[in-house]
Amino acid sequence: MATARPGIITSLEMCGIVKRFPGVLANDGVDFDVRAGEVHALLGENGAGKSTLMKILYGLYQPDAGEILLNGRPLNIASPAQAIRLGIGMIHQHFMLIPPLTVAENVIIGLPSSRRIFVDTDRAARRISELADAYGLQVDPRAFVWQLAVGEQQRVEIIKALYRGADLLILDEPTAVLTPQEVDELFATLRQMKQNGHALIFITHKLHEVMAISDRVTVLRDGRVVGRVATQDTDEAALARMMVGRDVIRTWEKPAITPGQVLLSVEDLEAQSDKGTPALKRVSLEVREGEIVGIAGVSGNGQRELAEAITGLRPVTGGRVIIADRDVTNCSPAEVLAAGLSFIPEGRMTMGVIKEFSVWENAILETHAQPPLARGMFLDFKRIADHTRRLIGDYEVKTPSQETPVKNLSGGNIQKLILARELSRAPKVLVAAQPTRGVDVGATEYIHRRLIEQRSQGTATLLISEDLDEIMALSDRIAVMYEGQIMGVVRGDEASPEQLGLLMAGVRS
Amino acid sequence: MINELLKEGALILILASGVRLATPYLFAALGEMIGQRSGVLNLGVDGTMMLSAFTAFYVTFASGSLALGVLVGVLTGGLMGLIMAVVSVTMRAEQGISGIGLHLFGLGMSNLLFRLSLGAISTVEGFRPLSVPILSDLPVIGAVFFRHNVLVYLAFVLVPVAWVVLFRTPLGLKIRAVGENPQAADTLGVSVTGIRYLCVIIGGMMSGLAGTYLSIGLNNMYVDNITNGMGWIAVALVYFGRWHPWGVLAGSLLFSVVNALQIWVQVRGIAIPYEFAVMMPYVLTIVALAFAVRRAQQPAALSKPYERAEA
Amino acid sequence: MQKYAMFMFSVLLVAALLVACAPPTPVAPEKVRVALILPSTIDDLAWSQSMYEGVKAVQAELGEDRMEVTVTENLWNPVDAAAAIRDFAEQGYHLIIAHGAQYQNSLFEIAPDFPDTSFAYGTSFKTGDNIFAYDPQAQEGGYLLGIIAGMMTKTNKIGVVGPVEAGDAVKYNYGFVQGVASVNPDAEVSVTYTGSFGDTAGAGEMAKTHMDNGADFLTGTAQQAVGAIQAAKERGVPWLGSDMDQSVVWPDTVMAAQVYNWKEVVRRMVDARVEGKKGGEHLSLSFANGRLSLHFNDRFNIPADVKAKVETTLQAIKDGSLVVPLPSE
Repeated sequence: MATARPGIITSLEMCGIVKRFPGVLANDGVDFDVRAGEVHALLGENGAGKSTLMKILYGLYQPDAGEILLNGRPLNIASPAQAIRLGIGMIHQHFMLIPPLTVAENVIIGLPSSRRIFVDTDRAARRISELADAYGLQVDPRAFVWQLAVGEQQRVEIIKALYRGADLLILDEPTAVLTPQEVDELFATLRQMKQNGHALIFITHKLHEVMAISDRVTVLRDGRVVGRVATQDTDEAALARMMVGRDVIRTWEKPAITPGQVLLSVEDLEAQSDKGTPALKRVSLEVREGEIVGIAGVSGNGQRELAEAITGLRPVTGGRVIIADRDVTNCSPAEVLAAGLSFIPEGRMTMGVIKEFSVWENAILETHAQPPLARGMFLDFKRIADHTRRLIGDYEVKTPSQETPVKNLSGGNIQKLILARELSRAPKVLVAAQPTRGVDVGATEYIHRRLIEQRSQGTATLLISEDLDEIMALSDRIAVMYEGQIMGVVRGDEASPEQLGLLMAGVRS
Repeated sequence: MINELLKEGALILILASGVRLATPYLFAALGEMIGQRSGVLNLGVDGTMMLSAFTAFYVTFASGSLALGVLVGVLTGGLMGLIMAVVSVTMRAEQGISGIGLHLFGLGMSNLLFRLSLGAISTVEGFRPLSVPILSDLPVIGAVFFRHNVLVYLAFVLVPVAWVVLFRTPLGLKIRAVGENPQAADTLGVSVTGIRYLCVIIGGMMSGLAGTYLSIGLNNMYVDNITNGMGWIAVALVYFGRWHPWGVLAGSLLFSVVNALQIWVQVRGIAIPYEFAVMMPYVLTIVALAFAVRRAQQPAALSKPYERAEA
Repeated sequence: MQKYAMFMFSVLLVAALLVACAPPTPVAPEKVRVALILPSTIDDLAWSQSMYEGVKAVQAELGEDRMEVTVTENLWNPVDAAAAIRDFAEQGYHLIIAHGAQYQNSLFEIAPDFPDTSFAYGTSFKTGDNIFAYDPQAQEGGYLLGIIAGMMTKTNKIGVVGPVEAGDAVKYNYGFVQGVASVNPDAEVSVTYTGSFGDTAGAGEMAKTHMDNGADFLTGTAQQAVGAIQAAKERGVPWLGSDMDQSVVWPDTVMAAQVYNWKEVVRRMVDARVEGKKGGEHLSLSFANGRLSLHFNDRFNIPADVKAKVETTLQAIKDGSLVVPLPSE
């Protein structure tokens, strides 16, 4: 029977780890270590090599060079099964759960049963309750996973690892989908585990979390270790500099602007989800000229449907959408664009660009049929090249050429290209959904600067983001969505994470 | 017609005939269901049935041993499953296309081997009905369920067995996990490849049993294209049964009992155009499917090859 | 590079087309090349096998140096068959036999493009300039076998396991029912169809249902019938066969059978070409012209009065004094 066995792993070291993928050196001689009873944060931008390193530790990838020492003895981790036997557990960024199965079933997959050929869910349920009590991970073992909220699903993931006797736990960006309160609960659990002698690796790109939970920090950049410090000896600015390689602007001084007339108005808006259930329940809000309104909320609470209903991509079943005094309710996306709207969709690769198309083709997706890019029924290639060159230059899109297929660019550069295309049309209203998700710090900073510039030029911006820091840094007003409703609207300069977190959890103050 | 039907004798005849006809569908559809539960769609069922029907028949014909015939029929099916697993799991080929390829291989190979070895239609002394003591004396039930040959009993016994394995054992949990979310199963130390091989090979063996039943349990002879498309119906019955053993049983029985009923209606000379009669099983099955309320929940990873994602 | 490859491909394609369109290479007139397209297989113990054996018998008669035979099996689908028919015509075959009524439309579409080639098909009577149509009078044998069943049945229940309600199956069944009625008006004949030519399992189950219902004589046509014959054998019920004499496989079950002598039909078509006729003939198979025959299985003791009745009826059919009617179209 699996039990928690803290103390069996006293130390783990990874020395000189090298991992190549076609065209990419993901890990270039990385050293890393963790000891029992500490939280070691692994910090780095997307693509810095954090996940690759941890997948090697968990036996999902084999390193091309380097060695792993467990309690000082070298060994080879060939598979996740072996990692589990050694006492290593991993909480993946995308939950590794099977929705049609119960919590207990998810926990015991792949484990031998005390009843030999039959599963013993009763015994598993008892053990799960014990672990839950010990670590503050309350969850009903008999519930189906699809019934659980995101925070509960993460608890199941942690229980899964503990149930298998994990001494060393790898947490890959565990806070990405949690409300601030849920983050606090997670941290309490992690501190409990630390006290019980577990070794914890905490992967993140959020600096304040590193400061809050870790004992030591290792910073990765472009597959190499660029720094390792004790948390108490550093601060956020120093960590940001290590992570990006230069100073990073973290708070924006927004010029004071008096918002003008209402450019985007949503009145009692109703729409359905893909499953046909109500996704928006009488949502009303206004965005004025020169104003950024942030929509905060845990993912799946109607944000995507709101963006799609406004932009004409999703049928509106009730209420109205008005852009610059024009009623565009249930108009086609082309009509909505013509009314003065630009849209940065959350699905960068699926909705934002056509990834097989070249940079210039993507740059003119919306405007190709209008002068000056078109002459009659033909494209004017010279004008298009000029236009594309201007966009690439102005928005700092790093691309080998205009002919390069967009799929070969990095996420940050694709997002800049989309931004360039959308903002070049001088929109009255901008709907930006998750504009910096999965984008590196440099590009994030750039995109934020552009959004603030746009605000100064009088654009009314609706910023939808699950990143509370982003919302709080940019928004003049913040509306929090929960289960298809707006729970409350607060002024950006008065909002606190605690206040927003309660609203995100559906608690009206 | 209703009056005639309600006579006990007629009802027993129709139901017993339905049970006989359901057997090959049950074998094949249960096997296919297990494969699909692990995430592999195998469209080679019909071809596998044909090849196993031939090998089982030939071995029985040559050796006179039915047991040996069953063994070889099952092994042939397992081998076909192995081929499917290599192509679709290891080589990650598109599953629909590989399955059709496997079907065509089985079709051509069974034709060829038949031509080379027997060359003419021959018959064997197949499995004889075996009355189950006591149970076969029960009124109605006895005659419907307990006076068949051993392969029929095996097919029906495999229904609860499949249910127990899928829903009450650690193995079943692994199978369902692999079919729903192979990444998750992989991170828990379950071998996605191993489970899929196992399930596809078991599925092949059960298709093999279906073919074996046709040639040495029902027809007692081998003819070219002996399945006449039964394997495809079996694949459809997996969807009808919503990937559940009891659902597959219900679908197989519904289809076969209605088929037996339409045969009976024709034999009794009841004035219905025969075209309508032969359509009945298909039409009723589709209607039942359309009116079933619950939404079909296919395994989320069905027909998706698994590969550990690259960074 | 790619353009060059495309160009070469085009050249090859044109060359291939030119070769394909070239007139067929002349063949020495004494050697006739015959292509046979079968819906089923050469060992189906029914429609396809009987024709195959007829063609091979003509070949044996003429000698392999004077007659070449190519067979394509399992082309039940007329669309696939049409491709094969055209292919054989382009290869210069002299006589192409597409053995089924379902090929009629394809033949009438293809035949005008190959005026020197002869085509043949059946069951039908519609001919073309270079198209033969053959037509078994299956109702005649059905009538004779119906007399046997009608006189010998004890339960007065007789089952017919048919394939699809079309072609010679309809003619046979219609004759059979009349044959039974002519000697035993009390007997019930239940005519049923599996809906498929190849559903042996369904035919077997259908035969069992007939026997459960009390039938003590069974008959049926097409390759699916073997499933029913095997079922009859397992319960010791006699079978009356058609197309071929299946008693070679079921010596204790097949009591009598109507046999198609395709050899005479194929021989006539080969000879017609020698006479310069490329088609246009309606070739009937009947007892009068010897292209149908009745085989008794000596293992069965068929009572003398039954045999006598069959014999006198056979004579009446042969001399034309009895015409077995067909369903009015």
